[in-house]
Amino acid sequence: MLSRRSFLQGSTLLALAPTVPGFLTRSVLASAEASSDGRILVVIQMDGGNDGINTVVPYADDGYGANRKELRLRTDGLIKIDGEAAFHPSMRAAADLLDDGRLAIVQGVGYPNPNRSHFRSMAIWHTARFEQEEHLNFGWAGRALDLSRRTVGADAIFVGSETLPVALRGRRSVASSMLHAEDLVLTAPINPTTLLTGRGEGNDLKSFVQRTVLDSYTTADELSKAKGGDESSTRYPETQLAERLKLIARLIKSGLPTRVYYAIQSGYDTHAVQLPGHARLLNEFAGAVKALVDDLAAANLADRVAVMAFSEFGRRVQENGSLGTDHGTAGPVFIAGTSVVAGLHGRMPRLLDLDDGGDLKLTVDFRQVYATVIERWLGVSAQPVLDRTWEPLAIFR
Amino acid sequence: MSSWQLYRPNDSAPWNTMRVVHLHRRAGFAATWNEIQRDVMDGPDAAITRLLQGRSYSNGVPADFEQMAAVIGDAAIGSNNPNRLKAWWIYRFLFSPDPLTEKLTLLWHDHFATSNLKINDLSMMRRQNEILRANARAPFRQLLGAVVHDPAMLVWLDADSNRKGSPNENLARELMELFTIGIGNYTEHDVKEAARALTGWSVRRNAYFENPEVHDDGEKTILGQTGRWRGDNLLGILLDHSATARRLAWRICNLLMGEQVVDDAGLDELAEGLREHDLDIGWTVETVLRSQAFFSESNIAARVASPLEFAIGAVRALECFDPPPSTLLLAEWAARMGQDLFYPPNVGGWSGGRDWLAGRYVVARANFAAQLAEGKLWSPVSEWDVSEVVERSGGQSSDPADVIDTLAQLLLVTRLPEASRSSILASVEQKKGTSHDRIRWAAATLLSLPDAQFV
Repeated sequence: MLSRRSFLQGSTLLALAPTVPGFLTRSVLASAEASSDGRILVVIQMDGGNDGINTVVPYADDGYGANRKELRLRTDGLIKIDGEAAFHPSMRAAADLLDDGRLAIVQGVGYPNPNRSHFRSMAIWHTARFEQEEHLNFGWAGRALDLSRRTVGADAIFVGSETLPVALRGRRSVASSMLHAEDLVLTAPINPTTLLTGRGEGNDLKSFVQRTVLDSYTTADELSKAKGGDESSTRYPETQLAERLKLIARLIKSGLPTRVYYAIQSGYDTHAVQLPGHARLLNEFAGAVKALVDDLAAANLADRVAVMAFSEFGRRVQENGSLGTDHGTAGPVFIAGTSVVAGLHGRMPRLLDLDDGGDLKLTVDFRQVYATVIERWLGVSAQPVLDRTWEPLAIFR
Repeated sequence: MSSWQLYRPNDSAPWNTMRVVHLHRRAGFAATWNEIQRDVMDGPDAAITRLLQGRSYSNGVPADFEQMAAVIGDAAIGSNNPNRLKAWWIYRFLFSPDPLTEKLTLLWHDHFATSNLKINDLSMMRRQNEILRANARAPFRQLLGAVVHDPAMLVWLDADSNRKGSPNENLARELMELFTIGIGNYTEHDVKEAARALTGWSVRRNAYFENPEVHDDGEKTILGQTGRWRGDNLLGILLDHSATARRLAWRICNLLMGEQVVDDAGLDELAEGLREHDLDIGWTVETVLRSQAFFSESNIAARVASPLEFAIGAVRALECFDPPPSTLLLAEWAARMGQDLFYPPNVGGWSGGRDWLAGRYVVARANFAAQLAEGKLWSPVSEWDVSEVVERSGGQSSDPADVIDTLAQLLLVTRLPEASRSSILASVEQKKGTSHDRIRWAAATLLSLPDAQFV
């Protein structure tokens, strides 16, 4: 694996040092001194509202059978976690991770006064803010990365074809996005010196564009210098999510100093004929996460990477009339990696003790999960990111 | 209307080349040098009127444009290849004499974002597109009614599975959240009741069909109004709601005005005007385009250019008309830059704005610029000569400084910063290769600058 230093030594920016403005050269050199052993977070967004009840199934809860007639999963097919909870039958890979001590599950995660709009609820999860005006600004991860900002290049990389998640937007930190490895290959004959007329620090449009364009070219430049990382002995399933996580593993293995990676798995909006589609999604999810964790372990990077998966809401406890479920509230959050305290965390909401709308009552506030990840994993203070302190959960060893 | 008073050229906002470029980049894609000179000469009233009347492009426009477009569109449907339908629309962007209508059609494609990923039927997608175009400047009542009664939207939002006793809230929710009043103006209960009103809307034989058998004809209370509402009553309630006018004002300003240029008072005024004019989009667009605010310094180069504004703008400004670059390749590059026609990312459309500059999109823009300059967007690869457009635009292709200044005027809305100008000039002069290669390189570099990403 390349170190951050060797990365930068080959960098075009440094090769052009005499013509590069002083502030930039200095900061590139300064960050070259920083270690490249920082911890990395991979976020997976289970998009559309995952039916948590049929994911980590509260099979012993009488409310399960009472509310799920057509969509009830047979107890004998479930993969038991303990006397109350079990994995969906298609999550064998997740059960394997749990057995190896590499998967933590936080149950009943949500927020007060749940919103059932995909966009609004996703915006709340992305920003950890409840005011609509705040939803256009900065995301929780972006704000956390603001506190440990790199000097140039991307702090976060989104791998996917979707719009860059708001979660990654920071005031000063920079998020980049790509779909294929070649997306960040600059074939244009760009001479960076012509572009380095200053790097805006403000949040006004001009500074933003100046900074973003420069950082994009710099990241492309860094990637072109990073060799290796593309060979992998781990077999990934042939799914879209696995393909994206494989690219993330490759970027991590190439020694990129990026701290947060992000991928989206879509399709969880299961309003109709839920059973077959949901089984396929969970199988794709569990298989891809396990492959990623295994791949990083093989590269001796397992202890540096944690994977967190969430969905914008769970689904209604009661199934609807078209063999599906409508938008609901709380659901499980998954944290995978060798550094986790494996097993169930938090308390599963009771299926016979619902709120006025017939939905699950949250048992863990999502900001408590974020606070834990920000402080115990990314190693920065969560208070400025979340505007208040939260007692960290015992998710990490 | 104080925020939208008529623009009259004055010392702080003179009618000049920059304002003409600004007008065409915002309301269209980009004007050629001749079109710019013509509008500078004729003044704002004539220039804006031409744009509104769909006569603003004179260069490159084929006499039989609509006929050609129809042939290309029909062939795309026949081929059942989505890329050819994308290329059809690119052809329209490049060659329609009426860029404003194309741009508004694209705005409504974003507003009523429907993806062929689910529809999987090109003739349905094209029909929706033609509806958006035909009603692009109509009263919004007409546009909304036409779109939501069209099969593409009904299929997209599962109208058919919304039945009495087993509602599907998809159409009801997006109708409120995205198409009309917007979030914060309704409750979950309103959504449920709206879904009941919409029961019975379905598609039969590829056309709208109202099925009384599954319609819930009971009483509903929607936004405080009680009655035995049907779907069309719901549309009426939503259209009459003041939040719809406000949302439309916001939507149109998002296209025509820069980031944070219009304040709340400005939006409120425009919304009020919309209500007085039966939500007429044409009136709104004209009001904004003729306003002092539109031509104010703060509105120039004040938002991020969308991928299509960037790409089509470059092709038009450089007059790549005969032969034009491959429309298939242009569509493919637009997708790589984040704007995949007929495949918006979700029901909310493209988030746009600063999101257009996510890392790989910036890299894609630079790579696109290089491909364009090097003739690689044509098949077979073109040996097109950038110096021709420099000469046509009054530049001296033998003088590197003049080449850069001329190209900058065509490709950027605002002046090229002196620091960039001198460093590009120094690089051009050092560069090996023919003068032809150097001019190409200068064009690609200019398009890769942060300055070229504004509109």
